[in-house]
Amino acid sequence: MDDEDMSCTSGDDYGGYGDEDYYNEADVDAADDVEVTPTHSEEAEYECLTVSQVERVFLDGMNQLTARIPVNDKCARTLLEANQWDVERVVKLYRQDRTDLFRRSHIDARPEPKRKLSATSGVKAKGYCTVCAMEGHAELPHLACGHCFCEHCWKSHVESRLSEGVASRIECMESNCEVYAPQEFVLVIIKSSPALKQKYDRFLLRDMVNSHPHLKFCVGNDCQVIIRSTEAKPKRVTCLACHTSSCVRCGADYHAPTSCDTIRQWMTKCADDSETANYISAHTKDCPQCHSCIEKAGGCNHIQCTRCRHHFCWMCFGDWKSHGSEYYECSRYKENPSVAAEANHVKARRALEKYLHYFERFENHSKSLKMEEELRDKIRKKIDDKVNEHNGTWIDWQYLHKSVSLLTKCRYTLQYTYPFAYYLTGSPRKNLFEYQQAQLEKEVEELAWAVERADGTARGALEAHMHRAEHKRQTLLHDFFF
Amino acid sequence: MSNIAFNRLQRECKEVVTNSEISETGIMIEILNENLTEIKGHIRGPPDTPYAGGMFDLDIKIPDQYPFSPPSVKFATKIWHPNVSSQTGVICLDILKDQWAASLTLRTVLLSIQALMCTAEPKDPQDAVVAKQYMDKPQVFKATAEYWTLKFAKGTLPVNADYQARVDKLKDMGVREEEAISVLSCNNWDLNRATVYIFS
Repeated sequence: MDDEDMSCTSGDDYGGYGDEDYYNEADVDAADDVEVTPTHSEEAEYECLTVSQVERVFLDGMNQLTARIPVNDKCARTLLEANQWDVERVVKLYRQDRTDLFRRSHIDARPEPKRKLSATSGVKAKGYCTVCAMEGHAELPHLACGHCFCEHCWKSHVESRLSEGVASRIECMESNCEVYAPQEFVLVIIKSSPALKQKYDRFLLRDMVNSHPHLKFCVGNDCQVIIRSTEAKPKRVTCLACHTSSCVRCGADYHAPTSCDTIRQWMTKCADDSETANYISAHTKDCPQCHSCIEKAGGCNHIQCTRCRHHFCWMCFGDWKSHGSEYYECSRYKENPSVAAEANHVKARRALEKYLHYFERFENHSKSLKMEEELRDKIRKKIDDKVNEHNGTWIDWQYLHKSVSLLTKCRYTLQYTYPFAYYLTGSPRKNLFEYQQAQLEKEVEELAWAVERADGTARGALEAHMHRAEHKRQTLLHDFFF
Repeated sequence: MSNIAFNRLQRECKEVVTNSEISETGIMIEILNENLTEIKGHIRGPPDTPYAGGMFDLDIKIPDQYPFSPPSVKFATKIWHPNVSSQTGVICLDILKDQWAASLTLRTVLLSIQALMCTAEPKDPQDAVVAKQYMDKPQVFKATAEYWTLKFAKGTLPVNADYQARVDKLKDMGVREEEAISVLSCNNWDLNRATVYIFS
C-alpha cells in the first residue's frame, strides 16, 4: 500500500517536472550535481585563532603604532583598545591633540605634568591612605594622575571591580578621576594572588577581544577559539575546533536573510512567553551603544552603562550629553496621525495577530528541522541496510543523504525568512519578498514530501526537487541578503 | 565587613563627630549598631532654601564592599525636592552610583547631599512630578517645599494657612494627613483634583 502510494506520488512529480522545469535544463547531463552555483558565498572569510595567536594580532597592532608615534608598548595597547584598534585613527588623533587623546583613552586625565598628591587636600601624616584612613604605609602606588593609595586598598579595589566583571576599565579611586589602571599596574597589585590574576587575565582578554572589531569569541561551549574576520555582512562562520556555526557579526545562530538587529529584536520578542523574558522586557533596555542589557534599579533616568560607560537617557535613548536642557523633549509624545485614532487595545490585538502569524511559521519550521534530524538517521540506516543487502553501493545511495542535507539547509533559510518578513514594512520589496518566500515554501514542502518517501525508484525526480528548492533559496538570498 | 571598612568607618565617625566644622556645616552622623552597618545621618536645612530651619534624617546602609562600593543613602524624613523621591526618599546623586570613588567619605556624601538641597538638578530628576513643578511653577514649588519642611522636618517657619486649610479639608473627609499633603502637593494644591485622585 505504502509502496504504491510512494511510486504514484513520485511518478506524478516526475511527469510534471519534465514538462515545466526549465531550471534543470543545464543540469540534465549532470544529474549527479544538483548544486546550484551560488554567485555569493554564505560563508564568511575567517580564520580561527588561539589565545597566543590573538596576542600576536594585538602585538602587531601595537608595533604598527609604536613605529608611527613615540609611545611605549603598554600605552599603545591602551590607545588602540580605546579606539577600536584603528592605527590610522590613533595617529590622526595623536597629531591633532595629544592631550585630548590621552584623556579620552583614560591614560592621563590631566593636562598638567604628573604630580604626587594625597587624595584630599590638607596636610596629612606621612604614608596616609585616604581610603583605609591609615597612616604609615611604606609605599603608596599611584596611576599617571598621581593619586596615591596604599597597596592593600588598591588590591581590594581591583578585587571589587573584578567581581563586577570590570578589567580593562578599573578607574582610579579618587573621585572625578578618569584614569584607568593599566595592565602592568594591576598585575603588580595582584601579584600575590594567583586566583585574582587568573580572573584578571581572563576578563582582560575578553575586553581586548571585544574592543577589536574583527575578533569574536567562538560561541561554542567552553571553546577557547577566537574567530577573526573582516566580514561586514552577517555571514556564517564555523569554528574549526568545536564545529559550532554562528553569525560572524553577532554570534547568534546563522540567520540569513535577516539582519543582526532584526534577529535580536525577533528573538527577544519570541522569548516573550517565558517569565524571565517578560521581566527583561518590562524592566530592562539595551544600551544604545554596546547593546548590553541594562536593568534600571533607581528612579533616575540618567543611565550609565557599566560595560561601555556610555551615558544615555532611559526614556529616549539619546546621548545624555546632548540631552541637556531639552530633557523634557522626551516626555512629548510624537504622534503618528494615521494610527492615533485607533483604540489601543485594537492596535495591540492586531499587532499580536500579526506577530503570531509569523511566529507560528518560524516555530513550525524549527520543529520540522528537529524532526528531519530523525529522518536523517532513518535514511542513514536505510542506506546501511541497502548496502548490506548488496543492493547498490554506499556511494550509489549518497544522493539520499544529500537530499536530507539540502532539505535542512533550505528549511533553515526558510525559517529565518519569517523574522525578516515580520519587520519588513509594506512596499513593492515586501511583495517581492513574500512572493519568493512562498515559492521557497512550496519547494521545500515538496522536497520534504519527496525525501520522506524516497526510494530507489525516483532518483531523478528527487534531484529535480533538490535543484528547484536550492535555486529558489539562492534567488531569495541573492535578492535580499547579499 | 572587611577590616578596611571597619577601621575606616570608625575614623569617619570620629571625623564627623569631632570635627569642629560640624556646628558650621550642619551635618552629623549617629551610629545605630556596633558593627557599623547602619548609620543615621542628619543634615540641617541650608539657610536661604525652602529647607531652612528643618532637620533632615538619612538612613545610611554600609555594604560589605565599602568603601569600594558606595553606601546606600536615602532620606528618612520626607522632603519635597526634584532629586529625591517624595514617596520613598531615594536620592538621585551621581556619587552614590557610578561616580562613587573609594576616596569619598560619609562626610563628603552628606556635604554633597546638602549641596544638592541648595542647588537642585531638575534636569536629572528622581521625582518627575516635583521636577515638573520646580520648572513650571517655581513659586508653588518653594511654598510646597517649605510646607513639607515645616510638617516633616520640624521646621520653624510660620505655617502656610491656605495649604493647611486644604489639608484639613481632606482630613475631614477621612484622609490621612501624610497622604493628603502628598496628593495635594502632586496636584499643585488643587483641592478638586486631589479629591478626585483620592476618591476615584
